[in-house]
Amino acid sequence: MKKQLAFYIDAKRCIGCFTCAMACKNQYHQESGVIWRDVYELKEEIYPHRERAFYSLACNHCENPTCLNVCPVVAYYKREADGVVVHEQDKCIGCGNCIRSCPYGAPRYNPVLKRAEKCSFCWQRLDDDRKPACVLSCPTDALQIVDLAEFDEANAVQYPAGFPRYPSLNPSVRFRLPAMPKMIRRKL
Amino acid sequence: MDKRDADSVKQAIGCPMSRRKFLRCLAAAGALAAMPGGLLRPFGAEAEKIIYEGDYEIYRNACPRNCYDTCAIKSYVKDGVLQFIEGAQESTFTDGGLCVKGYAYTRRPYSPDRIKYPMIQDGRGSGNWRRISWDEAMDMIAKKLVEINEKDDSMLGLGLTKYSGNFGITNYAVEGMMTSLGYTTRLVGTPCWPAGIDAQNYDLGDMWCNDPEDMVNSRYIILWGANPAWNSVHSMKYIYAAQDRGAKVVCIDPVFTQTAAKADVYWQVDTSMDGALALGMARHILDKGLFDKAWVRANSVGFDEFADYLRNEITVQWAAEKSGIPQQQIVEVAEEFATAKPATIWIGYGLQRHVNGGATVRSIDALAAMTGNVGKTGGGARYGHLRTWGFNYHALLQKRPEGAKGFVGGDGPKGDFDFSGDEKAEYTDRALNINKTAEMLLTADDPPIRVLWISCKNVLSQDFDRPKMLEAFKKPELIVSVEQFFTQTVELSDIVLPVTTLFEEYTINASYWHYWLSVNEQAIKPMYEAKSNTEIAAALSARMNKLKPGSCTFPTEVDTRQWMIKEFNQDIYDLFGIDSWEDLKNGPAKAKMHPASWHDLEFGTPSKKYEFRSDLCAQHGHQALPKFKAARKPYDKLRLLTPHTKFGIHSQFINIDWMEDFNKKPYCYLHPGAARERGIGDGDQVRVFNKVGEVELEVKLTQNVPADVVMMYEAWFKNNSFNCQNVVDDTSSDMGKYKTGAPGVAIHDQFADVEKV
Repeated sequence: MKKQLAFYIDAKRCIGCFTCAMACKNQYHQESGVIWRDVYELKEEIYPHRERAFYSLACNHCENPTCLNVCPVVAYYKREADGVVVHEQDKCIGCGNCIRSCPYGAPRYNPVLKRAEKCSFCWQRLDDDRKPACVLSCPTDALQIVDLAEFDEANAVQYPAGFPRYPSLNPSVRFRLPAMPKMIRRKL
Repeated sequence: MDKRDADSVKQAIGCPMSRRKFLRCLAAAGALAAMPGGLLRPFGAEAEKIIYEGDYEIYRNACPRNCYDTCAIKSYVKDGVLQFIEGAQESTFTDGGLCVKGYAYTRRPYSPDRIKYPMIQDGRGSGNWRRISWDEAMDMIAKKLVEINEKDDSMLGLGLTKYSGNFGITNYAVEGMMTSLGYTTRLVGTPCWPAGIDAQNYDLGDMWCNDPEDMVNSRYIILWGANPAWNSVHSMKYIYAAQDRGAKVVCIDPVFTQTAAKADVYWQVDTSMDGALALGMARHILDKGLFDKAWVRANSVGFDEFADYLRNEITVQWAAEKSGIPQQQIVEVAEEFATAKPATIWIGYGLQRHVNGGATVRSIDALAAMTGNVGKTGGGARYGHLRTWGFNYHALLQKRPEGAKGFVGGDGPKGDFDFSGDEKAEYTDRALNINKTAEMLLTADDPPIRVLWISCKNVLSQDFDRPKMLEAFKKPELIVSVEQFFTQTVELSDIVLPVTTLFEEYTINASYWHYWLSVNEQAIKPMYEAKSNTEIAAALSARMNKLKPGSCTFPTEVDTRQWMIKEFNQDIYDLFGIDSWEDLKNGPAKAKMHPASWHDLEFGTPSKKYEFRSDLCAQHGHQALPKFKAARKPYDKLRLLTPHTKFGIHSQFINIDWMEDFNKKPYCYLHPGAARERGIGDGDQVRVFNKVGEVELEVKLTQNVPADVVMMYEAWFKNNSFNCQNVVDDTSSDMGKYKTGAPGVAIHDQFADVEKV
């Protein structure tokens, strides 16, 4: 398998602190309301305690990216070397095809520039031998960068409950599920 | 940049242009410094190679907020503009990362909401603000200070309230400025941690915690009322590391917190019954003979009396009834804790914000001590420390003006961060309880507080009994706020002075939790007309001396970099193993301290031993032994809890627009059972009310809170009048006066009811 960088989201370690999401804003200063990485609370059907388990999600840099496939002006390309999907905003005409097509909601509309934009996997940082801003920021190493060509984590899953299953896209993301403590509640 | 800004930019340059390109043009035209920060953007995802070390000027900063983590920051500046920040990788504690609050800092100096100039409000609370010059502002304030000094023959009519908004050491220039004006009135004490500080002082002789990085050595960890997953995110990796090495983690909290979700066992203790639980565990450990006999014999006093108390008055069954935790659980965890060595307890600050808070901390300390876990790596009753704070306090220690008169017969102010030493003089400042600020402002007389100076503090968001505070704020003749944003406190001030952010000033930052020290450099020039607290003191002194020579001793010219340097001394250099403060420009340094507090077992108590029986505690009007103390009697149907949010520290950060992207508005949390009884559904707008006042907000239903609790997070939203202090009274906690000058406040001994609006 070719090198394919991916985000590994360890929900067992994740504390839902939003540090990764803000580290992204700190690096890229997105317009108000434009979010490349967000932290999604798991519904109570998936994890029974509200606001206590999360998936931190951004672009999944799919093996077969729909954003790239539907773009009429070739504003997207997938890097040979590491599989990162890059959006070139200067080429974007803001048609919204990618935004409508991505089942993971990764491309976002920038209402000021009237163009799409999305997580770049911090490829400039990667090229300068630095971790992506979000990965570097994570205080619990719950968000990691892995190469799927070498990734071998027995407990990892690609499509946990609540995460849309699109094998044709093959999203470059893996998860570990959250755990629960033994609960001793007092009787009222 | 909001839509309006974007439109004005387009109009100005005649064509659509990306913000990045626009910035480049501006930089080329030299116009960048004049532009509001809303237009700044470092770079985007377009194809340009970035050299991170080389393309930027890199500065060292440190987060000065009231937080365990006190993160060391690396700031990347280009064209005089802060572009992005990272955690300093040299600190193993910060480890290259900040938190959600820290990463929002990049926005702070450039926030469109910043207070840019000195301003005066025509009519307190009217909203009729107008810009004035620094000269005009200083002139108005100085004239008023001269006037009250002549009227009262002292400066006691000048009151200061300041707490933890900025813990940078040079910010003690605010207290220094007060001293340099004469004997003034100080609101003293701390709403934060005082009962626990006193408790640890009675038991151990000081508040001194193990290195948090040493938690990896623990075989058993009890997180007691602490929520590091929200309030000390960088500590979590040590807890996980201990777990990975086989340690069991027990989290005890009335609320199923994020930290509880990461523990092995969660105990939903009844609020303020932590002491009963600790004593029940102690009784069982005693009965099973699992206490460390050799340790208590060699290193403590009063253990036999404590054992007698446990045998005579405490049973596991009683503890179970009081705390709500089943006997079998208490027995199991007590045995595990006593036999896993080393075992540690992290004592959070929330559990001592009660009328029995100090007594509770003492009973938890006793559990750590009787099992021989004090003085050991991986052990300890961890609460906090100030062992790395031995600065010169040059900014703080100013002379009084000649002939100044003050308060007679008082002890003078004290505080958790009081480093002024023992001043013996005919006069002192007048000390008033900061936790009853509203009451103090209303009742202080002869003279009353005529001028109130507020810095590093958001009184109207953070002080208690807000309805009373609104009354109290009508009383002073002049209220001056030193701020960055138009807070609810500024709304009720007469003059606001814009103060620098951490990136715009020089200072030093130490932590009350970890052992690292960071320098804070001026990374960018102050935006607009902001001045540091030191420069404000100098400006006021200049005006005072012009009006009335000799009326203020504070230097009228200050070089803030020099003032930062003046805070260092050889002891600090030795402690941190550095030759000069300039070494800190290469990254933070860690104190060369043993990772275990009290490792030499030389305690700071009168007996030099661990004191299960503290006569000093008894002299101060408390129980000599760490006995159970009853809770506050409920005054309404539900317990009201107002803990921290993960999106802010007290009233800070929540107002920043970047944060609003993730945390738009306040909620309260209610158990589905309690909601059903009241006909309340998820997402309903509700009214939370009690004898103090009321708030209205949206409710989320969750079993994370017990059925007898309503919870909301303390916060200041810039476009929302929500304020939890409308329903929190100013009842004191049991301890705090000994070491911090005033008792703490029973923030979590509050009660309320909820109804659908």
